[in-house]
Amino acid sequence: MRIAQTIRNLVGPLALIHEQAGPRLLRLTRLGVFALWIVKLLLDPLWRLAEMPREMWTPVGILRLLPDSAIDVLLTSTGLSTLLAATLAVLVLGLTYKAFPVVSTLAAVLLTAYSSLIRSFGPAVHTDIVLLLAVYALAGFAWADWFASPSSGKKAPAAWSSFPLITIVAMLTLSYCLVGLNRTVNGGINVFTGDTMEAWAIDASLRGYYFNTNIGWHIPEWPWVVFLLRSGLPVITLFETTAPLCLASSHYRWIFIPVMLSFHLLSLVFMNIFFFDDMLLYLLLIDWSRRFPALRAKVV
Amino acid sequence: MSKPTSTPSRLHPAIAVAIIGFCLVTIIWMVSFAIPLRLAGQAYLLIIILLAYRYWPPMIRWVAAMPVAHRVVFGLLVGGMIFGHYTLNGRAYFPFVVWEIFPFVHEDDPVTCRQFIATTANGTKVRLIVEQLFPSIVQVDPVDALDNPKLYRPGTTEELVHALAKVYNEQHPDNPVESVDLMLMSVQLHPPANESRAEPSCELLKQYEISSDR
Repeated sequence: MRIAQTIRNLVGPLALIHEQAGPRLLRLTRLGVFALWIVKLLLDPLWRLAEMPREMWTPVGILRLLPDSAIDVLLTSTGLSTLLAATLAVLVLGLTYKAFPVVSTLAAVLLTAYSSLIRSFGPAVHTDIVLLLAVYALAGFAWADWFASPSSGKKAPAAWSSFPLITIVAMLTLSYCLVGLNRTVNGGINVFTGDTMEAWAIDASLRGYYFNTNIGWHIPEWPWVVFLLRSGLPVITLFETTAPLCLASSHYRWIFIPVMLSFHLLSLVFMNIFFFDDMLLYLLLIDWSRRFPALRAKVV
Repeated sequence: MSKPTSTPSRLHPAIAVAIIGFCLVTIIWMVSFAIPLRLAGQAYLLIIILLAYRYWPPMIRWVAAMPVAHRVVFGLLVGGMIFGHYTLNGRAYFPFVVWEIFPFVHEDDPVTCRQFIATTANGTKVRLIVEQLFPSIVQVDPVDALDNPKLYRPGTTEELVHALAKVYNEQHPDNPVESVDLMLMSVQLHPPANESRAEPSCELLKQYEISSDR
């Protein structure tokens, strides 16, 4: 009995995150997601891609459906600037919440085209995919609210605000879970033993990327970093695989957040890889509506 | 006269677990002929996680409170992620991709990487990184992949060098790039004890001259 009680205390209360969330929290989330995309796009000189060799172009996702003539137009400096400007304009319009289902759907389409485009010169990397899926969720649930509202034109019930929020958290944690499962099953025990992690880190460090700390290739000279990498990978994989627990356990979330934030920051230092979009989405791993009554749906 | 009470035949829990275990192993073994275990194994573990939520009362309550339209959206998004992962095709169904980070053993020793090192008009050496000069691109394929005729047309590396130099020179018109060296950098995973280097070992593979009129 004592053991059961101790485990219960450790696990803490189990409650679905954002279950009490109301329209204010949903509006803040929409604002955050759209604003983050706006900042990302404002920092992106997309038109420079017109200079990239066409030989390196292999279309990703919906861009595979476009004819070559359309791709030729898109990959000019004017075409790329137009896509960037149009996407920015729609995202700014999304901040006003006017005709949100239509505007957010348009934003989802344009952002999908943008995200596919920037991946068509290399591998389909994971950065900002969950942020894109968050836009899908906001658009999809906005339409669902419109279809399912008791009478068209009236506001959706406040309790429905939790649906997109929980879905975004579910997608965020599922993305980690699938990464963890893939590594555990595909890589097997050999990924967690031997030199694999050092080799990955040195490879990423030598390649550079946008952030180039130029530190990671020194790893073999630093035994404590080698130890950190080797011992850290199984721990991180365990947290990745069990990430869906974030939906249920507040205690788990308070361990998950600092561990994974440290992991992402160390990835930046040693591997030049920075998932800052996911890190900002961690704000949704805090159950704001339980802490601030103003953010709750006013349901009796 | 009381009825004789019939005691139900009880299966010992250990035997029940053994039977269930045997059945599961048999099913997994049979399925492995059709679907590789590296794929099916992930699916089994994911099913366990999904089942845990399927029977968790707050989740049941939450899903039950959803109108049908909302359930469809939830199902499409989460289902799309799972579907995309198991297609093993990271590009076709973007953003429903294969989720993999460090999924296999990296055994190369030394670890090597090709880098572009440019020499500018005043003799300064600068490294040209695709992701820095074209920040839209999160990651390109490794430079050595560009020489793979199955993946890229011959001459792609040279095209990329000129694209990098052009963008660099637009940003630094006072000190443009005049030549670019393709270097092979290598780092040993097990260097001699107490060895510390300022730079990785490097070997010149090729040099490209950059003409200003290009």
